[in-house]
Amino acid sequence: MNNGRKIDLVKLFLDNFIWIIVVLVFTYFSVQVPNFITLGNLINVLLHASVLGVLVIGQTIVLLTGNFDLSAEGVLSLTTVLAMWLMAVPRTDAGGAQASGLILHPFIVIPIILLVGMLSGWLIGIMITRLKMNGFIVTLAMQLVLRGIALLISNAQIMTGSPPLFNWMGGARINGFPVSVGVTLLMFLIVNYLLNQSKFGRELRAVGANADAAHASGFDAKKTVTRAYIISGFMGAFAGWMLLGRLETSISSLGVGMTLETVAASVIGGVSLQGGLGSVGGAFAGVILLSMIDNALNLIDIDPFWVQGIRGLIILVALLIEAQKFRYKPKVIHENENGIVEKAI
Amino acid sequence: MNTEKNKFITTIFDNLIWLLVISGLIIFSVLSPSFRTPFNLVNILYRSAALGMLVIGQAFVMITANFDLSSESGLGLTAMVGGLVLASEVDGGLGLEVSPALAILIMILVGLLIGYINGFLITRLKMNNLIVTIAMLMILRGLIYIISPGATASFFPKSFNWLGGGALFKMPMGKGSLSFPVATFFILFAFIIAHIITRYTQFGRNMYAVGSNLSAAKDSGIEADKIIRKVYLISGFCMAIGGLLAAGRLDSATPRVGVGMVFPVQAAAVIGGVSLFGGRGSMIGALGGLMLWSILDAGLSITKVSPYWIEASRGLLLLFAIGLDAIKVKRMRQRALAEALSRTEIGLDDTQIVID
Amino acid sequence: MNTVKVKTEQKPILTMHGISKAFPGVQALRRVDLNVLPGEIHGLVGKNGAGKTTLMAVVMGLQEPNEGTIEIGDHTYRSMNPQEAMLAGIAFVPQHVAMMDSLTVAENILAGELPKNKFGFIDWKSVEREAKERLDKLNLHLDVTKRVEGLSVAEKTMLAIAKALFGDAKLIILDEPTASLSRADINRLFNFVKSLKEKGASFVYISHHLEEVFEICDRVTVMRDGRIIGTEYVADIDIPKLIVMMVGEDVEDYSRKSTCTDEIVFVLDHLTRRGYYEEINLDLRKGEILGITGLQGCGAEQLGKGLFGLEYRGVGEVKIKGKEFTAKLPIDSFNEGLAYLPQDRYRFGLIGVRPVRENVTYPILNRLIQMINLINRSEEKQIVENFINELEIITPNQEQAVRLLSGGNQQKVVFAKLATTKPAVLILHEPTQGVDVRAKMDIFRIIDELASQGVAAIIISTEIRELMGICDRIIVMNNGRITDEFLKGAKNTTPENILDAIEGGKNNHE
Repeated sequence: MNNGRKIDLVKLFLDNFIWIIVVLVFTYFSVQVPNFITLGNLINVLLHASVLGVLVIGQTIVLLTGNFDLSAEGVLSLTTVLAMWLMAVPRTDAGGAQASGLILHPFIVIPIILLVGMLSGWLIGIMITRLKMNGFIVTLAMQLVLRGIALLISNAQIMTGSPPLFNWMGGARINGFPVSVGVTLLMFLIVNYLLNQSKFGRELRAVGANADAAHASGFDAKKTVTRAYIISGFMGAFAGWMLLGRLETSISSLGVGMTLETVAASVIGGVSLQGGLGSVGGAFAGVILLSMIDNALNLIDIDPFWVQGIRGLIILVALLIEAQKFRYKPKVIHENENGIVEKAI
Repeated sequence: MNTEKNKFITTIFDNLIWLLVISGLIIFSVLSPSFRTPFNLVNILYRSAALGMLVIGQAFVMITANFDLSSESGLGLTAMVGGLVLASEVDGGLGLEVSPALAILIMILVGLLIGYINGFLITRLKMNNLIVTIAMLMILRGLIYIISPGATASFFPKSFNWLGGGALFKMPMGKGSLSFPVATFFILFAFIIAHIITRYTQFGRNMYAVGSNLSAAKDSGIEADKIIRKVYLISGFCMAIGGLLAAGRLDSATPRVGVGMVFPVQAAAVIGGVSLFGGRGSMIGALGGLMLWSILDAGLSITKVSPYWIEASRGLLLLFAIGLDAIKVKRMRQRALAEALSRTEIGLDDTQIVID
Repeated sequence: MNTVKVKTEQKPILTMHGISKAFPGVQALRRVDLNVLPGEIHGLVGKNGAGKTTLMAVVMGLQEPNEGTIEIGDHTYRSMNPQEAMLAGIAFVPQHVAMMDSLTVAENILAGELPKNKFGFIDWKSVEREAKERLDKLNLHLDVTKRVEGLSVAEKTMLAIAKALFGDAKLIILDEPTASLSRADINRLFNFVKSLKEKGASFVYISHHLEEVFEICDRVTVMRDGRIIGTEYVADIDIPKLIVMMVGEDVEDYSRKSTCTDEIVFVLDHLTRRGYYEEINLDLRKGEILGITGLQGCGAEQLGKGLFGLEYRGVGEVKIKGKEFTAKLPIDSFNEGLAYLPQDRYRFGLIGVRPVRENVTYPILNRLIQMINLINRSEEKQIVENFINELEIITPNQEQAVRLLSGGNQQKVVFAKLATTKPAVLILHEPTQGVDVRAKMDIFRIIDELASQGVAAIIISTEIRELMGICDRIIVMNNGRITDEFLKGAKNTTPENILDAIEGGKNNHE
C-alpha cells in the first residue's frame, strides 16, 4: 500500500515541525537581539534549559498518562532548602541562617532529597488513583504544602554555602561547558530512548490513550500513573539539586512559575494534554524554544515581570492550538452495550 | 435501622462546617486568653473580608462545575490599579489622584474585564478552565509588577478606605472603645446577597443546573455558556471588591497583595459544602468555610504558631477538603449500588458489594 | 424491501426510509425502513451491535446518515441536528437517566422556568405546587421536594418521561428502561406509559426483555447486523418466532472435527455473583469448544468478564489446570492462563491510536524484555509478523494504527494478542460481531486451530447457527442459571430446541 509511505512523510514533518520553529526563532534572535549569539549568552540559555528540561521530562511522563503535575516547582523549592539545611554550616550572619548544624555529607543528602521528591510523587499518585481526587487541585495543593514546608525549614531566609561536591552537578564546567547541560541532554536522550523502547513507555502511552483497554490488556493503570508521578517528583528533586548547585544559594521562592512553563514546553512540543501521544523529544524542542524566548526577553531589557506575563500568554497560545487540534479530529462513534461511546482519536 | 444511621451521617456531613466552626471557636478560646477577647472575636471576619469576596466569586464559578484560580491575581491587580490612580506621586501612585468613586469604578471595570476574558476563553474558545485560569493567575500577577513603578502605593483617601478599613460604629468598652468594622458587616451582607441570588433567582438556579448536569441543563433550554460567562464576570467583580477591601484595610497596595489566597479560597468553598463536581453547595455554607478558615488563621497566629506552618496548613486543609469531597461521592455511589443489588433475586448467597 | 406492515390508515409520526450509516471499519446500518404510528408503543429488539442505538442516534440528530430520509410530521429530513430533532418532538430517555441529580424533582421539571413572585424572586412554594400539578396531570406521584439522586431508578425513568412530555415531545425513545427494576416498579412504569399512550404519546421501546415487549408494545421491529429483519404486530407473533428473527440464521455452516480430549482444564464450582448469576457449575476439557448462549441479561456476559477480572467475579471456586484460579485482574488472568476477547473492541480490546505491533504484544511484554525493561524489538517484530501471516491480517505494515483497520482485521489483531499469552482457556464474547462474512470464516478457522492446539474455548454468543457449527457443547443460561445443555450431534440439538431453551426458562420464574 503506497499510502503508508506518504502518510509517514507527512507525519514525520508534522512531528518535527517544532524544530523548524526553533531554528527559525534562533535565527531571528541571532539577527535581531544584540548579544544573543555570544557563547556566554548561549550557555545561559542552555543553563536555564537544563533545569527546565529536567522538570519537563517529569511533566511529559505524567502528561503521557493523561494527568498533570503542578507540584514540581514545590519539590524543587523544598529540595533546595532541605539540602542546604542538612549540609550547610550554620552561620549567624545574613545569608547563613538556620542550617540544621547536621552538616551531612552530600553523598547522604543527595539520596535523601531524591527520595523526598519520589515520596511526594507517590503521595500524589495515591490520592489521585485510590482516593480519586481531582488531579489538578491535588498537585496544586501539594505544591503549596511543599513550599510551606520549605518556608518552615528555611524561615524564609536565604542560605548559602553548599559544598563543592554537591555543587558539581549544577555548577561544574568541563572546558567551559556546563556539566548540567550535558547531564540534561543525556537524560533526554536516555529517557526518549527508554520511552520508545521500554515496557514502561508502552504502559504510559497505553494508559493515557485508553485506560480501559490498557487494563484489559494487562496493565495496572493505578501503578503506572503513580509511577509517573514518582518519576516527576524525582525529576523535581533532581532539578533542585542542579539549580542549587549552580546558584549555591537556596531561597524558598525558587522555581516559582516554572510549573506552567513545563506544561507549555510539553504542549508546544507535541505532547497531548489528553494523554497517550507525544514524546520527550518534542518537549525538548519546547524547552529550547522557551529558554531562548526567556533569554531574549531578558537581553532586550524588558522588565522581568513582563516575562511572567509573556510566559502565561505562550501557554494560552499553546493551549489554543491544542484545543483546535482536538476540535478537528475525526470522531469514531461506536456502539457498545451501554449505548453510544464517543471517542476522539 | 440502616436508613436512620444513613440519615444521621448525612446530616452530620451536611452541617459539618458549622460543627467545625463552633469547635474551632471553643478550642482556641480555651487555648488562648487573647483569642477570647471581644476585640479578637469582632475582628475575625474583618481580616478575611477580602478573602471572603473571593470565596463568593469562586463559589459562583464552582457551582457551575468550573474553576477560577485567577482570582487572587485579579484582586491584586485591581488593588494595584486603584492604588496607582489614587495615590499621589510621592506616595507611590501615578499622581492622577482621581476621586475615590472613579477609582472604584475603574477597579470594577478591570475586574469585569478579567472575568470577561476568562469566560471568553473558556466558553468560546473551549479551553480547559483550570489551565486558563492558572495561566491568568500568572499573567495578571506579572501585569501587576509591570504597571507598578514603585513597590507600594499608599495613603488613600479616607472615603476609599472606609469599606475595607473603616469602623461602622464604636462601642465603649473598658478604657476605650471597641470598633465594629464596616468590612465585617459588609462581607456578611455580601454573602447574604449572594445567597439570595443563588437561591432565589432564575439565574442562580440555572447555575446549579449547569453544574449538576451540563447536558441535561442544555436539554432544558438553559443557555449554559451564557451562564458560565456570567459567573466568571461575577468572579471578576468580586475580585475588584476584594481588591477594594484589601487596599482599604491596609491603606496601601503592593504587588504582593493576594499572593497565596487561591488555596484558602478553594478550601473554604469546598469545606463549606460547595462541591468540586458542581451543582451543590450554598453561599451560607461557603460563609461557614470562610469563618472556619478565619478562625484557624487567627487562632494559629495568636497561639504563636509559625506563619510558615500556616502556609503549609493551607495546602493540607485544601487536601483534606477535597479528600472529604471525594469520599462523599464514593459513598453515594456505594449506596446506589447497594440499592440496586438489594432488589435482585439472583445470587443471594453472594453478599459483597464491590465497586469497580 | 418493504418489511413494514401497517394495519391502519393513520399517517405515521415518524418514518425512516432507506437509512444507511457507516463508520470506519463497520457498516452500522443498512437501508433501514422503520415507522412509528401515533399513539403506538413500538418495540425495537436485537442483540448488542445490531444497530438499535445507532438508529436512534440518527433519529435524534446525533448521527448523520449516509443515505436515506427521515420524515417527522410534515417535514422530510436528509439529516438533522439535535436541535431540530428536539423541536420536531423527539425525546430520548437513556438507560442511565440524565437528570440534574443534585437538584430536586421540582427543579428538574421546571428547570429554566421557575415561577417567581411579584418581585422577580423565585417563589419556592409555587415551584412545589406547579411541579406537583404537572405530575398529577400525568398521574405520577413523586415527592417533588426530594433530590433526584434520592429517587429510585424507576422513579427517575418516569420522571424523565414526564419531563419529555412537558417539553412537548411526540415520540419518546426508551432505552432499556427496566434494566434494574423490580416487578412492582415495572408494573408502575408500564401503567404510566400506557396511560400516556392513551393521551396520544408515541414510544419506541428498546429492550432485551422479550416478555415485556409483548406486555406493553403494539408492534415490534427486529434488527440484526444493521438490518431490519421484520416488523410485526405483537398480536400476530409470539416470543419463539421473535427469537428466530433475532438470532443469526443465515451464516454458512462451519463444520469441524472435534478436538476435545478427556483432560479437564477448567472447573467452575458454585460460582455466584449477586444480581447476575448463581450456582454456575462447569467442567471444561482441553481442546473443547463450549458455547454459552442466552438472552441478554442471562448472566453470561458478566460471567465472562468476571472470570477474566474485568468485573467482580463473585463467590465460588474456580480451578484452572488443577490449580486454584486466583486472578482478580486481567494481568493475573493472562499469567494464569486465561484470556478474554471482549465484545466491545474499541473500549476494551484495542488501543486505537497505537500501532498493530504494540496492540499485539501488550500482555506479553514481560517475556520480551531483554534487560532493565527494554523490549527486544526484533523478537517482537518477528512474533507480530508471524501472527500477521498466520491469521492473514490485512494491514499495510505493523506500524499502522489499529483504528484504521477493518473490523475483521481488528478482531484478528485482538486474537493475535490473546494467542501470544498462550492461554489454556480462552473466553470469547461475540467474536464475530462487526466482522464481515469472509472474515467470519477466518475467525472460525482461528478458533478451530487454537482448539486443536489444546486451548479450551468458551464462546459467549447468540449466533446459534455459528455455535452449532463450531461448538462441542452449547449450554443455555436463563436468569443467571444454567438451564440446558446441548451436545454436538445429539438428536435434540436443533436450532429450534435451543431457541426454545433460551426463551423457555423465562416462563418458569413467574
